[in-house]
Amino acid sequence: MDEPFLRLVNIKKSFPGVQALKGVTIEVDQGEVLAIVGANGAGKTTLMNILGGVVKADEGEIYIQGERVHIDTPLEAANHGIAFVHQEIAVMPTMSVAENMYITNFPTRLGFIDYRKMLENCSQVLKRLGCDIDPRTKIQDLSPGDRQLIEIARALLGKARILIFDEPTSSLTSREKARLFEVIESLKKEKVAIIYITHLLDEIFKVGDRVSVIRNGEVVGGGMVKDLTYSDLVHWMIGAKEISSYFRPRTAHIGDVILRVEGLSRQGVLENISFTLHKGEILGLWGLLGSGRTELVRAIVGLDPIDKGKIEVQTNGGSMKTVRPIETRKWIGIITENRREDGLLLPKSVKFNMSLANLRNLLRFWPIIDFKHEIELTKEFIGRLGIVVSNFEQPIEMLSGGNQQKVLVARWLERNPSIYFMDEPTRGLDIGAKAEIHNIIRTLADEGAGILLITSDIDEIISLSDRFLVIRNGHIVAEFPTGVSKDELMATAAGVA
Amino acid sequence: MSGTGEKLATDKERVLGTYSSKNRQVIRYIPIILVILGALILVLFVPYFFTASNIINVLLQCSAFGLMAIGESAVLIGGGIDLSCPSIMALSGIFGAMFMQTGGNPVLAGLIMVTAAILFGAINGFAVAYLRMVPFVVTLSMMYILSGAALWVTKSVSIPITNAAFINTVLAKVWIIPMPVIVFLLITAIAEVVMSKSLYGRWLYATGTNVKAARVSHIPVQRVYFGTYVFSGFCAGLAAIILTARLMGGAATMGTSGDLLTVISSAVVGGVSIYGGVGSMLGAAIGALFITLITNCMNLMHVSYYWTLIIKGLVIVIAVGLDSLRRRQ
Repeated sequence: MDEPFLRLVNIKKSFPGVQALKGVTIEVDQGEVLAIVGANGAGKTTLMNILGGVVKADEGEIYIQGERVHIDTPLEAANHGIAFVHQEIAVMPTMSVAENMYITNFPTRLGFIDYRKMLENCSQVLKRLGCDIDPRTKIQDLSPGDRQLIEIARALLGKARILIFDEPTSSLTSREKARLFEVIESLKKEKVAIIYITHLLDEIFKVGDRVSVIRNGEVVGGGMVKDLTYSDLVHWMIGAKEISSYFRPRTAHIGDVILRVEGLSRQGVLENISFTLHKGEILGLWGLLGSGRTELVRAIVGLDPIDKGKIEVQTNGGSMKTVRPIETRKWIGIITENRREDGLLLPKSVKFNMSLANLRNLLRFWPIIDFKHEIELTKEFIGRLGIVVSNFEQPIEMLSGGNQQKVLVARWLERNPSIYFMDEPTRGLDIGAKAEIHNIIRTLADEGAGILLITSDIDEIISLSDRFLVIRNGHIVAEFPTGVSKDELMATAAGVA
Repeated sequence: MSGTGEKLATDKERVLGTYSSKNRQVIRYIPIILVILGALILVLFVPYFFTASNIINVLLQCSAFGLMAIGESAVLIGGGIDLSCPSIMALSGIFGAMFMQTGGNPVLAGLIMVTAAILFGAINGFAVAYLRMVPFVVTLSMMYILSGAALWVTKSVSIPITNAAFINTVLAKVWIIPMPVIVFLLITAIAEVVMSKSLYGRWLYATGTNVKAARVSHIPVQRVYFGTYVFSGFCAGLAAIILTARLMGGAATMGTSGDLLTVISSAVVGGVSIYGGVGSMLGAAIGALFITLITNCMNLMHVSYYWTLIIKGLVIVIAVGLDSLRRRQ
C-alpha cells in the first residue's frame, strides 16, 4: 500500500489533570480532505496544535511522505508547508489585505517594501480562489467570510502543502460557506492535503473524503465518508446516548403582542423596520451577515442609536406602552452574537457573570448585595440549566462554550424578562450543547416569553421558529409562517427571489 | 453533554486554564507578603521601629498618599488612569491656603479644597465618560494645566498657613491616633466594603473587565467612569487638607511627578491591575504602606531622593510585570 502523504501516529498529550490525547493516529493524502470531528473538548484542537508546532506531543511520530519529521515550533511547521486557517481569524483590521497576507514575509527591494510585487502576487492568489477583492482594501471593511478567504490566501502564498481548517464555517453565512466549499474543491485539485476540523456533521458529507471521529482524546471511529452514514458519525461522536432524546416537539401557544416596533430607522443601516412579537412565540429573524439583523436588535435595546421609530412593549399590567430604546431593558434580555467579546467577563467567576444583569434585584439594603440570596440563585440556575461547573466561584473562562452560553442565558433568566433577543445563541457549540440551548429556548417560549431568534444555521431557525422575518440590506423584505422551505428563506435573504 | 459531560474545558482552554488558579493567588498576595517581610526586617534591624508612636507616625506619613492611592485604584479598576491627582491635590490645597491667608474660615477652607478637587475630578470624568476621550491624554493634560496654574497663582512661592485652628483641628488626635490616620483608615474601610459588597463595586469590576459586556448587561458604564474620577478627585481633596496642615502651607511643589509615582506604585504594588477589573482597596492601602515604609527606610539610610524615584519606578515596572505574567497564565 502507498504511504499516505501525512501520517500522525500514536500521538499522546497530557495537560495537568487531564490526558487530552490518548494515542491518536490519523492520515491524509494529497488532494484529499480529512474531516476530524468530535464534540467540544474532545481533543481536536490539541491534535492540530501539535501538528502546527504550537504544542509539543508527549509521545508519537509525524511522517510526511513517509519521512519522520520533528515539529517543535510553528516556524518548523511552516517550513514543512503546514498552514492553519484559524477558527478565530487573526488579522490586523486597519491594514490592507495585501499587508496582512504578507505580514510575516514582506517582499522587499533595496530594503523597502516592494508594493507592486506584493499587490500583483496577492491578486493572483485571490483570483485562484475565485474572489475579486482588491488587495488594497482594509481588512476591517471586509465581511467575516472574506476575511477567512484572506487567511486561506495567506496560506497559499506560503506554498502550503497541508492546510488545516479549524471550524472554518462558524462565522460564515450559508452563501459564504458554499463559496468556501468551492475553494476547498479547487485546493484539492492543486494537490493540497486538507484537514478539516468541525463538529457540524453536514459539512463532513459536503467536503470530506475521509473522516476520523475523536472522543475523549481517542479516535473512536472513521473511514471513507462515502461508506458512512449520518447516524454512524453521531453514535461515534456522542457515545451511547440516543440523539432523538435531544429534540422534542413543541406546540406553540401564541398570545398577545408583547413587542411592537414601527418605522425603526438608522441612517444607512436600518430602514423603516416594523414588526410585532407575540407572547409565547419564537420569531426567527433570518438574514445574511451584514443584513442588519444584529444591528436591529442592538438598536431596539439602545446599544446603538436610532434616528426614528416607535417601540411599544406590553407592561406588567397588560397594556402597551411606548418606550425609548434605553428603557426596553426592563422587559428585554439580550444574548449577543459574540459571547467572548460582549457577553462574558472571562476572568470573573460563574456567579459574578450570572448575577451581572440582576444586581439591582439582589440588594439587601441599598446598595449592599445580599450574598446569600445571590448564591442561592446561582445554584438554582446552575441546577436548572444543567451547567457543568466545579463550583460557582470557578472563573468562567475555564468552562466549555456550551456551559458559558448557559451562564449567559441564566444571566437574563434571573431577571425573568418577558422578551428575549437571542443573536446566534448556539454559535460554536457542539451538537449536544446546541440541543440543550434549543430546549431552553423552547421552554422559555412555552412559559410565555416572546423570543426573537437570530442564527446563521438554517436548520436551527427552521426547527425552532413559529414565524419568520427576512431582513436584507436593513429592510424587512418578507414574512413567512411555519412550514417555509429552506430554499425560500435562502432566496429571499439573498435577494434572488 | 452526556459523553463529554465530565470534561469541562476545551483543549485550548485547558492549556490556558489549569496551571493558573494557584499561581494567580500567590501573585495576588505578593504585596501583603512584601509588607510583612519588610516590617519584619524593620522590627529586627531598626531599634524602636515596633513602637506604637513610630507605627502611628508611619501611618500618618502614609495617609495623604494612601488616600490618593485609594482614589487612583478606583480609576484603575474601572480601566482608566488618573495622572492628575497629585496636581489636583496641590492646586486645591493652594486654593484653601490662599483663602485662609485672606482671613477665611478654616472649615470653609477645607470645604473649598474638597470641592475644588471634586470639580477637577468631574472635569476628568466628563471628558472620559461622556466625550469618550482617552483617560491618559485627559489626565495628563489636566496634570500640566493644574501644575501650571498652581505655579502661576503662587508665583512659585509657598503660601503659608498661619491659622492654628486649621492645623490643630486637622492634626488633632483621638486618643493617640491623629485625624488623618483615622480618615485614611475610614475611607479605606468604606471603599473596601463598597468594592466587595455593593452594587457599585460589581459595576466597577464588570466595567473594568469588559466594558462591552457590561453595557449589554445594562450597567450604566458612563456613570461608572464618571464616578471613579470624581472619587479620585475627592480623595485628592482630602489629601490636600492633610498635607497643607502637615506642611503648614500650600505650594505648587506639593504635587510633583514624583508624588504621582508614589500614588501609582502604591496601587499597583497593592495588586491593582493597570489593565482594569482587578484589585482591592485594602490591597491599595497596604501597597501605600509598603511604599511609605521603603521610602522611610531609604531616608533612614540616607539614600538620595533620586534613588527613591528610581526604586519606586522599578516597583511599578515589577508589579505591572507580575500582573502581565498573571494575565498570560
